[in-house]
Amino acid sequence: MTVPLHRDALGVARCFGNLHNSQRLRSPYIGALDALAGKMAVEAAIFSLDGVVKRYGAHTALDSITFSIKNNEYVSLLGPSGSGKTVLLRTIAGFEAPDAGTVHVGNHDKTRVPAHLRAIGFVFQNFALFPHLSVFDNVAFGLRYGIMPIAEDAVRERTLKMLDLVGLTGLGERGVTQISGGQKQRVALARTLVTEPKLVLLDEPLGALDANLRTRMRIELRRIREQLGVTFLHVTGSETEALAMGDRVIVLDQGRIAQIAKSDDVYNRPASANVARFLNRYNVFDGVLEGDRFTSPYGQFGFGHRVPDRRSAYAIRYDRLAARASDGPQNGGATLEAGYVASEYLGSAVVHFFEAKGGKVIEVEHHLSNGPPAKYVAGARYVLAWKPDDAIVFG
Amino acid sequence: MSVADAQATVTIVPASTAPLVSRDSASSYWLIAPAVIFMSLFLVIPILMIVYVSFWTQTTFKIEAKLTLDSWQTFFASDTYITSLFTTVRIWLIVLVTTFVVGYPTALFVGLFVRNKTLQTALLVMCVIPFWTSFLIRVLAWRPMLGKEGAINIILQGLGIIQQPIEALLFTELSVIIGMTQIYVVFMVGPIAFMLGRIDPSLIEAARDLGADFWRILRKIIFPLSLPGVVVGAIFVSVMVLGEFATSAALSGRKVNLLGNIIVTQVGSLKWALASVVGVILTVIMGLVVAGLLRIVDLKKEL
Repeated sequence: MTVPLHRDALGVARCFGNLHNSQRLRSPYIGALDALAGKMAVEAAIFSLDGVVKRYGAHTALDSITFSIKNNEYVSLLGPSGSGKTVLLRTIAGFEAPDAGTVHVGNHDKTRVPAHLRAIGFVFQNFALFPHLSVFDNVAFGLRYGIMPIAEDAVRERTLKMLDLVGLTGLGERGVTQISGGQKQRVALARTLVTEPKLVLLDEPLGALDANLRTRMRIELRRIREQLGVTFLHVTGSETEALAMGDRVIVLDQGRIAQIAKSDDVYNRPASANVARFLNRYNVFDGVLEGDRFTSPYGQFGFGHRVPDRRSAYAIRYDRLAARASDGPQNGGATLEAGYVASEYLGSAVVHFFEAKGGKVIEVEHHLSNGPPAKYVAGARYVLAWKPDDAIVFG
Repeated sequence: MSVADAQATVTIVPASTAPLVSRDSASSYWLIAPAVIFMSLFLVIPILMIVYVSFWTQTTFKIEAKLTLDSWQTFFASDTYITSLFTTVRIWLIVLVTTFVVGYPTALFVGLFVRNKTLQTALLVMCVIPFWTSFLIRVLAWRPMLGKEGAINIILQGLGIIQQPIEALLFTELSVIIGMTQIYVVFMVGPIAFMLGRIDPSLIEAARDLGADFWRILRKIIFPLSLPGVVVGAIFVSVMVLGEFATSAALSGRKVNLLGNIIVTQVGSLKWALASVVGVILTVIMGLVVAGLLRIVDLKKEL
């Protein structure tokens, strides 16, 4: 839904509302419209892109990107490297001009507005802290030298409050080269948030942190965002991060939007074979779809449901497969034969790697809550079996 | 120091973090022995010698190693010499400002707005092209440019902007300043462009995203980050301008006498003691200027 549509619906709803007040009409429809108007005021898109195209020579980096983000929402943008994530973010921020399409913030067309007048926050992957300024001066920068500079004591008050919020109390006088990676990330975040942008773009904000810190910062990011009620668009190449962080996930594939949905929808019902691949949780087979049979180089499989896609593919989640000895009893379902290669221990689960015909690696995940993992012999053949209902076919 | 040299140094440093031999090994000091011997013989001892000679007794026809303050008194008692001391300082300050005013925007363009490294290097090399001709030719070439019947006056008259030729262009302090600015501006451009080239572009984008316009970003981010380059450029220009004599000799028509010109005249008439006095004064001024400039930034932090 685009912004003008929201606005019109809101206007119509208000008209009906006035009618209802003045003429004392009691219609159930009007009550419903009032409720709708209220709901829309809360959920109105604060930001929308419409048909944004960005080309570099013959290469189309962004191909008619259209989506909108609601107020107070956490959206993650997932895509492999080269999918156009960063270009998209830079286009929204105003560092790149789109070749076609519009960028709206609220009701304002910002497509031709220069970056420093857009009031869209941007948190850089490498933090981009000003190395010659202290933590305090970094955070205060936007208040002092931004579009609307404010009095120095107000700057001080807001900056100190923001430092408290991001957990940097008392570190204001430090130089930004004297603090740890996690603290730098907080400074970068505070510096952007203190200017109170409606929308904050985060470009792989956790990419430069080590794994332990990354998990802690995820929780922090969510807490800070919820406290301020600001909208985040978080770009990441990590599928777990995208699913964990976002109220909604946008999946970008070669400059196009492949899917926009809630995390569990993306996870359980990927909209294309490529989305399934990016999630890193599905074994994806190429093949031919004929009626209700999918023929792959590894055999014919039945499937539960079908998702329209340009190319045919078959996807089965790692944890929906089971491996058993090849001479054991066969009890229907889909099966394929593969040789065992190795296992990887993940703590709560074990992933077994098998190799099917033609060197295709198939992953089988065994959750340790379902008992200890089976022992497999390297090089021996096993049968991998799954329920066709668990599989998704694209095509 | 060219920018290419400086860049090469920067790339080599990380590779050499693991020393082949222990750092405090006595044998490693032999590596600097040639430099120490050379610099002692041809820099330290001569400077001490100049200080010593400045106290010698100078008579019309000879100089003898009898210590006296006569030459120092002659210098400070003479209006000519004191005036030339102030002229030197004034011209130094003016040229420092003009090379900065001309050089900084150039460096800003080359170092920050040209993001293509090849083009950046090509532009910096172009700045050095005038150095392919000899110093004297570069200075003397200003005469047909600035003279009463020089190129600038002819063009301005031809365009009808002026009726009478501007005579103040040549053989004045102005011509000396123009000449020196042209010769020394490249020493300002190089180090500044190098520092600007090292600024992470995302810093400027971050400042823009926070709502700062170009001038604020220039004042609060770009200039402070390029300050070490400005200081290094200012040191180069200062040291060279303070010791100048050729430009003022060729373009001022003997009207502008810098300390350097006095040294040349005194040495020419074999007045070694007075020349040494001026030499000591110049060296002290340069020392103070360099020390003062180094206080502005901590260059150790930048390397």
